[in-house]
Amino acid sequence: MKYFDQLKKQSEFYVFLIIILLGIIIQMRSGLFFTNNNLLDIARSMIVPSIYAICAFLAFLSTGPDVSFPLIAALSSYIAIDVTTKMGYAGPVIVTFIIGIFFGMLMGALNGFIIVRYKFPSLIVTLGTSTIYSGLLLGAFEAQRMDLPENLADFGRTSLMTVVNQKSGLGSTLPMTFLIMAGLYILTYLVLNFTMTGRGVYALGGDEVSAERAGFNVKQIRFGIFLINGAIAAIGGLCYSIMSMRYLPTEFAGGEMIVIAAVILGGTRMTGGVGTLKGCILGTLLLTMVSNSLILAGVAVIWQRVFIGMIIIIGTAVSALQGRSSAKVSHKPRKEAA
Amino acid sequence: MSDIILSVNGIKKSFGGVHALRGVDINIKRGETHCLAGENGSGKSTIIKVISGVYKPDAGNITIDGSEYSEMTPQEAIRSGIQVIYQDFSIFPNLSVIENLAFNQVLANKQKLVNRKEFRKVAEEAVEKIHFSVDLDARVETLPVADKQLIAISRALLDNAKLIIMDEPTTALTKNEVGRLFEIIEDLKKNGVTILFVSHKLEEVFELSDTITIFRNGENVISMPTSEINEEKFTYYMTGRKFDKEEPKAARMFSEVVLEAKNLSAPGFEDVNFKLHKGEILGVTGQLGSGRTELSLALFGMLKKTAGETLIEGKEVDISSVQIAQKNGLALVPEDRLTEGLFLPQSIIRNITVSKLGKLAGKMGIISEKTLEEESSDWVGDIGVATKDHTLPVQTLSGGNQQKVVLARWLSMSPRVLILNGPTVGVDIGAKYDIHRLLRELALQGMAIIVVSDDVSEVLATCDNVIVMQGGRVTGYISGQDLNTDSLAQAIQ
Repeated sequence: MKYFDQLKKQSEFYVFLIIILLGIIIQMRSGLFFTNNNLLDIARSMIVPSIYAICAFLAFLSTGPDVSFPLIAALSSYIAIDVTTKMGYAGPVIVTFIIGIFFGMLMGALNGFIIVRYKFPSLIVTLGTSTIYSGLLLGAFEAQRMDLPENLADFGRTSLMTVVNQKSGLGSTLPMTFLIMAGLYILTYLVLNFTMTGRGVYALGGDEVSAERAGFNVKQIRFGIFLINGAIAAIGGLCYSIMSMRYLPTEFAGGEMIVIAAVILGGTRMTGGVGTLKGCILGTLLLTMVSNSLILAGVAVIWQRVFIGMIIIIGTAVSALQGRSSAKVSHKPRKEAA
Repeated sequence: MSDIILSVNGIKKSFGGVHALRGVDINIKRGETHCLAGENGSGKSTIIKVISGVYKPDAGNITIDGSEYSEMTPQEAIRSGIQVIYQDFSIFPNLSVIENLAFNQVLANKQKLVNRKEFRKVAEEAVEKIHFSVDLDARVETLPVADKQLIAISRALLDNAKLIIMDEPTTALTKNEVGRLFEIIEDLKKNGVTILFVSHKLEEVFELSDTITIFRNGENVISMPTSEINEEKFTYYMTGRKFDKEEPKAARMFSEVVLEAKNLSAPGFEDVNFKLHKGEILGVTGQLGSGRTELSLALFGMLKKTAGETLIEGKEVDISSVQIAQKNGLALVPEDRLTEGLFLPQSIIRNITVSKLGKLAGKMGIISEKTLEEESSDWVGDIGVATKDHTLPVQTLSGGNQQKVVLARWLSMSPRVLILNGPTVGVDIGAKYDIHRLLRELALQGMAIIVVSDDVSEVLATCDNVIVMQGGRVTGYISGQDLNTDSLAQAIQ
């Protein structure tokens, strides 16, 4: 019972309930939701958004919104693919990833440097840099659609799991990129929960001045977050290209809002310090379900966005109300204006 | 071991030409409770920051336990056993009690990994030191302020603090919590911990301290044993002003009812009845959570009433919004002026005139800067806001002067009824005296005033009649001649 009481306090729990409910409704109306191919499809569609969700999550947790990850993904994966294509590189894909990660981190470092050094709001800085990156991508590099080099294409064709639905004959495959996502989540989870640096991310998001007084290296941690975000964005960008089997320069921008919505939905506090990776996954799952499966329930595609919008508002309202009730007890003592 | 644990000698510190400290000496004896008092801006916070190593002094030196330092880093201060408990407690509201307690020590040991068992052990050890019982797994933001403070204290003790500096520790506490804190302080003293306590609340200073040091304008005016000082001297040293004894007010007669509440209920209180007359100052008092604040909000339309009615000059008015309240001549000076009442980064002029812009605007609704300036400087002069330049942001003023700006704004509307919630919370003695005098003058001119306060001396100094609230109900009405310290204290209990 005590366990249940604690569950009730977490917004993740409510998102989980909505997911189950929505699943049951779609199943009742179509009979196609709880089928092996549909579930695998959802898992497949979640891969890239949930990788991006880590970026949005880490940024909110420590500092504030980061909206640059789609463009960092676009530009860094472009460079990695372009370079390996031109070199005729055909070795292990890890090298392509390393190149992408390197450039992603470079771009993340620029975000981090400006935000840490000049204490500018992260929203403005990342908006600015992502505009720069998009300008570089389309202007300086004149990026076009392009096919993947053979090594990436091969990696994209390898599947982790393939299922065929006996009744409908529809099939679905889970690509290898799923493992990359899972790996990133496990790694992030371990760092956040079992290292002092990880706890520092939470501490910093809770109260920056206190974190500094306690002895955390606030600047280093914050810079590190944006550096890592660059790397994760690059991985996300490469995974996206691998899964689409080609590089599509214009398909990246605009993805940030739905990812941020998913993260907030999953209980991450916009003002920092509170949130879990479990919440990120659940939030992403919910929004993926809506965009993938609502059509199964007979909701026309044109209404899909209305539903997504409603879920974002309702879901965020739940966590906002929770935040309000816990904020009532807390009272910030006024600072002396000396 | 010397008898003096900490002595600072000739410390000077200025910020861009402003002398915050002009050569200060303090000696703190081992094991005593030493109180540092002074008005806002007298340099109290600055000296604490010098002692804790946050600021480097321009001149002078600090001796801790016999070793002399000309300047210190925060780490050195902590290593020599000095711990500061800041007003914001330096806690992480989003994390568990355990982590809040354990972080400092774990980081100091340069551990890189998280060992939850060890965290818990450290935390248990910390709360044990002051016999503090709290759910160690609770998220700190869900705890009451007093518990947050105790977390900060037990964390300080973990670092083997010899001298604990508390910066206005009672500001956000209720009466009971203050009592508990004092017990803990007494306990610490018995264990040989020295306490430097910053406060400007008279009663606390007298109750708790062995020695008092009073600062004014960046100088140490006096250091003496608490037993040799009285209230009058204390006020004098603090403000440099002598105050007239407040004369006992003659019971006044009122005839014209301005505001009347009949069986008024809203979330937080119910069934409140009172009549407020022209020229009367009505006190509303009671402990935190008695419904006093809610009553003031409901009268001003910020809280929706659930039953009953309010009458203004005999006519029923449904005050369902702030706009309706203002239209009917009501004004409210809120409890937390910083978050509810002021635009801190904006200039004094703008803060004073903002509620009156409609009236000050010329034809076509255009507002001239000159009109605003005239209006504002009139008020700055009348009400005595201590500032050289009223184009400066309000946040450059001390607490008392900020409160005067809020007052000026509402007075410029010439309200019929002025409601003040905790008018002098966090305000120093001089400004408090000024505000009380101002309120009495306004009442004599015919304004009806409601003072919501739990400060007994304030209620006595200002109010003609008092209603006492408890648990959301009116439990007493004390009028005119019956109003004194005893009757009030009894009614509040």
